[in-house]
Amino acid sequence: MRVSAPATGSGPDLGPADYPLSVNRQDLLRTPTGKPITALTMNAVVAGEITAEDLRIAPETLQLQATLAESVHRRQLAANFRRAAELTAVPDAEVLAMYSALRPRASSKAQLLGIAENLESKYQATVCGALVREAAEVYERRDLLARDEED
Amino acid sequence: MTTTENPRSRRTDILEDRPVNLDGFVEEWPEKGLVAMESDFDPQPSVRVEAGKIVELDGRARADFDFMDTFIADHAIDVETAEEVNAIPSVEIARALVDPGASRDELTRIGRGLTPAKILDVVKLMNVVEIMMAMQKMRSRRTPANQAHSTSAKDNPIQVAADAAEGALRGFAELETTLGVVRYAPLVAIALQVGGQVGRGGVLTQCALEEATELELGMRGITAYAETISVYGTESVFVDGDDTPWSKAFLASAYASRGIKMRFTSGTGSEVQMGNAEGRSMLYLEIRCILMAKGAGVQGLQNGSISCIGVPGAVPGGIRAVAAENLIASWMDLECASGNDQSFSHSAMRRTARLLPQMLPGTDFVCSGYSAVPNPDNMFAGSNLDVEDYDDWNTIQRDLQVDGGLRHVREPEILQAREKAARALQAVFAELDLPRITDEEVEAAVYAHGSEDYPERDVLEDLKGAQSVMDRGVTGLDLVKALERSGFHDVAENLLTVLRQRVSGDLLQTAAILTDEFVPLSAINDANDYGGPGSGYRLQGERWEQLKKLRHVTSAENPETEVS
Repeated sequence: MRVSAPATGSGPDLGPADYPLSVNRQDLLRTPTGKPITALTMNAVVAGEITAEDLRIAPETLQLQATLAESVHRRQLAANFRRAAELTAVPDAEVLAMYSALRPRASSKAQLLGIAENLESKYQATVCGALVREAAEVYERRDLLARDEED
Repeated sequence: MTTTENPRSRRTDILEDRPVNLDGFVEEWPEKGLVAMESDFDPQPSVRVEAGKIVELDGRARADFDFMDTFIADHAIDVETAEEVNAIPSVEIARALVDPGASRDELTRIGRGLTPAKILDVVKLMNVVEIMMAMQKMRSRRTPANQAHSTSAKDNPIQVAADAAEGALRGFAELETTLGVVRYAPLVAIALQVGGQVGRGGVLTQCALEEATELELGMRGITAYAETISVYGTESVFVDGDDTPWSKAFLASAYASRGIKMRFTSGTGSEVQMGNAEGRSMLYLEIRCILMAKGAGVQGLQNGSISCIGVPGAVPGGIRAVAAENLIASWMDLECASGNDQSFSHSAMRRTARLLPQMLPGTDFVCSGYSAVPNPDNMFAGSNLDVEDYDDWNTIQRDLQVDGGLRHVREPEILQAREKAARALQAVFAELDLPRITDEEVEAAVYAHGSEDYPERDVLEDLKGAQSVMDRGVTGLDLVKALERSGFHDVAENLLTVLRQRVSGDLLQTAAILTDEFVPLSAINDANDYGGPGSGYRLQGERWEQLKKLRHVTSAENPETEVS
């Protein structure tokens, strides 16, 4: 089971001295399946207890890294990590499809707004949803929406 | 028409025959953007903020913004400081960049509010030595590093694995591959991943492909990071590249959401080469790329003209502009993988001169592709440096006491690593039921130089195998299991440790690499603290002892013998 992502960066107050988390704060690190990072051993791999799903990053961890990035004045990097935290819940194929839909002239405005709506309602991905809405607006202004006859 | 030909002097003949005269040089043509960084057609700096929004940027009103202006204004520039910092005279900022007394933190604070034209206005005041001085202070990671290309003209996975192992042993922190035949990608990416972990633990690997495919290999854990995410400085060229700042920003988040390190790629000359520079100088457009990357929240950028180096290389001051673009990426607090990764000149002297502005001050990755294979095997169309330059590189490091990220390694160690890499890959292929690697191929890998030294592979069988890797959904974890089952316990452990880094996200922070003890080293725990002589990264101690070693060094005690 996936653990759901917190909407904003709640959690411990991290600073530069906590980095790297894999060395200094192992206590905070879990897989998306809820295992502690220390459980990812070769013995566990051999015993078949580890799946590819265990080698992914959890949304909570991305929020921790965002807090760290903010502590060293990297606000855009932090914002990227927060969008990423939301996208952990979206399956690979759907992420790839969303990316393709954002390419120039690939989607109508309605299609882009549909993606934003889907991100927001199905995945609670509000920061990502906002990015897609923003794209829809700019694409309209710069004539980068799909040129099809349906609209 | 006939003219009387004057006889030519013998000296002219000799000069005519010098390799540098095979290089291409052109006059500037600013109207078309064929100018490095000094153009009357670039905009003048300006910024105006109203109600928390930038409403004017470099002489353009918000209503007239193209998508680059919009993205930069809304995502890259700090609105709170923009008017204040843009009012600082450019000469003051340029001098602060060079002044060891002005801290990196203060300069990144100023940098966060500047407009593209203002940044250009500042660096235009700096000569190449001042640019290097500033780079020494502004690069984000204190310890410099280097990156290699490991490719094969025949897409031969055994070659890629053996050269990856040797490259890792020689010191590269990252290894990158790409393909001649794209369908070979899964096998070659596996080879790179396995070979890299044989040379030393903790090397990060990537496979440069079309955006969506590259992401897919990354998601499976067959590669560890990505870099071929190109951005461009004009809206029209960006769209020609089938992307927008928003699609690229989304892609950046997609990578981070899978715990995968990623950087964008851009460089001077790409817009004019793609035919739409909108009459702006190469560096002005590159600054827009750098700010776009910053706004997207990607941790780093590969720049320094990259595959377009022939364009700035052909115009006056072009290589100064290339040094400036690396500096600006670092100043904007991004990891900078600083080029030197493309065939650049026929002249060995010119190739070296092009390299020094990055090698001497040190950058996060001096080369974003030193060819760890002979240049004819380099599927990125050749690099500025290749395997035949290893000893020269090591000697320059020793002569000037600079750390370019590599070291001399004795042959027995190299042969051992090459053999182990080929054996490990042989075992992985067998475990995964992929086309067989013969003992003859393994033996060839140990002593080979280039792809012609290996037995031919059955390409059709390999391509079927490559397809099956994708169809069966083989992951990085499957590689770990295959290595462990076949007795390559240490390689398996190295790869598992690299994969486990995804769970921590530590490699997502700016300029992160792994030490050979698997400790993440980034601009957080290894922040550049240069503050003048005696501070910052110094090549000394154990590392300096390593770099004193070359292939042939005469023993002081016994001049008849060599130490190495």
